[in-house]
Amino acid sequence: MATLHVLSHSPFSDSRLSSCLRLLGANDGLLLSGDAVYALQPGSAQLRALEMMPDSIGLFALDEDLTARGISAAQRAQVVDYPGFVELSCRFDKVNSWL
Amino acid sequence: MTQLIVDDRSIALDKDGYLVNLDDWDEAVAAALAQQETLNLSAEHWEILRLLRAFYSEFQLSPANRPLIKYAALKLGPAKGNSLHLNRLFNGTPAKLAAKLAGLPKPTNCL
Amino acid sequence: MRKSLLIISRQAPWSGPGAREALDIALAGGAFDLPIGMLFLDDGVFQLTAAQQPKTLQQKDLSANLQALPMFGVESLYASARSLQERGLAENPLTLAAEPLDDAALAALIDRYDQVITL
Repeated sequence: MATLHVLSHSPFSDSRLSSCLRLLGANDGLLLSGDAVYALQPGSAQLRALEMMPDSIGLFALDEDLTARGISAAQRAQVVDYPGFVELSCRFDKVNSWL
Repeated sequence: MTQLIVDDRSIALDKDGYLVNLDDWDEAVAAALAQQETLNLSAEHWEILRLLRAFYSEFQLSPANRPLIKYAALKLGPAKGNSLHLNRLFNGTPAKLAAKLAGLPKPTNCL
Repeated sequence: MRKSLLIISRQAPWSGPGAREALDIALAGGAFDLPIGMLFLDDGVFQLTAAQQPKTLQQKDLSANLQALPMFGVESLYASARSLQERGLAENPLTLAAEPLDDAALAALIDRYDQVITL
């Protein structure tokens, strides 16, 4: 029952990302949208934490939100557009939105 | 909003017939509310109304049918805490009607 | 077969509508006999502390409402052991019989449910 966790809050002002990282299952995925894409900021502790995740965990970031914020995705992350987001939502057994 | 006249008092009701001010409730108000529903309150009715008021004072909310049944079973035993008994007393909608007569807010989470 | 739902409540009772909304979802689901679990995570564990006085902030009594969960058939209640520990609550009595689970057990818990929502 792999879960796609969807985050949309900035990891610099909010603990959702760190909480989520502790609860990830081996085959879960993590999708960064909105301000959560700031987690991919080069040189940040947040990016280092993401890079330490096992390879079995998929890391995705929404293209639009990256572009809007001028962030280029680190190699670890796979950039997806909205159709890609939909495809991911179907690929995983369930989606956990961290509202 | 409508008014219910009980003795010399004028009691405010909301559009669904529930008390606007929960403090207005007493047994005379309950009897008058029941009369509006063409219901004569028997000892069995009063027992459930008191139970509901206890539920509200414990949990600060009005129960839906399921929790009402469960609470009644817990406090009064299975003979009283079942949907048959409660439906019979309160015209098939125990959570809504009994909450109204007990002077509680309209239960949310109810169909 | 009805789908099971795990509600993860991670807001303190006073920090906005999150805690109330999570509870409302749980009570509504329970009233309709859905298999519901509730997990208190992060600041959400503050919902379980005793002696809160909501009236001083003119708020409704969330702790009293939380006690109604078992009456609504929501009896699968969990709390993050780490969240409790971090906030100095590990030894405190909780107002609700929520089972403390470590991180690995929480991952397994999320895995077990059909649907998950985090508020």
